Amino acid sequence: MKITLKTFASIRDIIGFNQLELDIPDDATAGSVIETLAEKHEGLASHRETLLIAVNSTYCGSDTTLKEGDTMALFPPVSGG
Amino acid sequence: MIFQKDPIPVTDLVATAGNDSDGAIITFIGQARDKSRDKGVSHLEYEIYEEMASSEMKKIIDDSYDQWPITDCVVVHRYGTVNIGETSIFIAVSSPHRDDAFKACRYIIDTIKKTVPIWKKEFYSDGSQWISDRS
Repeated sequence: MKITLKTFASIRDIIGFNQLELDIPDDATAGSVIETLAEKHEGLASHRETLLIAVNSTYCGSDTTLKEGDTMALFPPVSGG
Repeated sequence: MIFQKDPIPVTDLVATAGNDSDGAIITFIGQARDKSRDKGVSHLEYEIYEEMASSEMKKIIDDSYDQWPITDCVVVHRYGTVNIGETSIFIAVSSPHRDDAFKACRYIIDTIKKTVPIWKKEFYSDGSQWISDRS
């Protein structure tokens, strides 16, 4: 199935793009997508403990199961204000 | 709530905040400062995930109305380049009594800093750094 992956701030700098369509297995979770990305992007490892995940603009955990058409976002702790 | 690249017209916003039933209008103005951890800062860049920032900000404002008897709430946050001395965020909260407006304003800025997906990057003479990376 296909999802859209968005990345922001330092995570985008590591991954190298801010939006990409991904073809992932039907039983994929947010965590399994991160695992796959981490294999290609070593810099992601140092951010794993603080990495924030959102699916369809809602914060969620790595065990969240993804659905066709979802938008998953990965980003570091926020720092607005 | 508004997210914008342009400078925030603070004076105009203060002038329009609240109404005749309010005894208090509390404002918070966040400003880009020229030093950070003993390093000189030339300017800031804010990045935003705007769709999610809008929904998270709405939750914060809705929570504020639920928790305190406030009558009006305005939040404006910059994104893109913010120069030193410019306002990065403006919050105005009004209520009949000051205690409620103070508490709501404090809650709004503190929660924005925890949940709204906006990221600050500081620029120095010798480079730059995402702020969320160093805590």
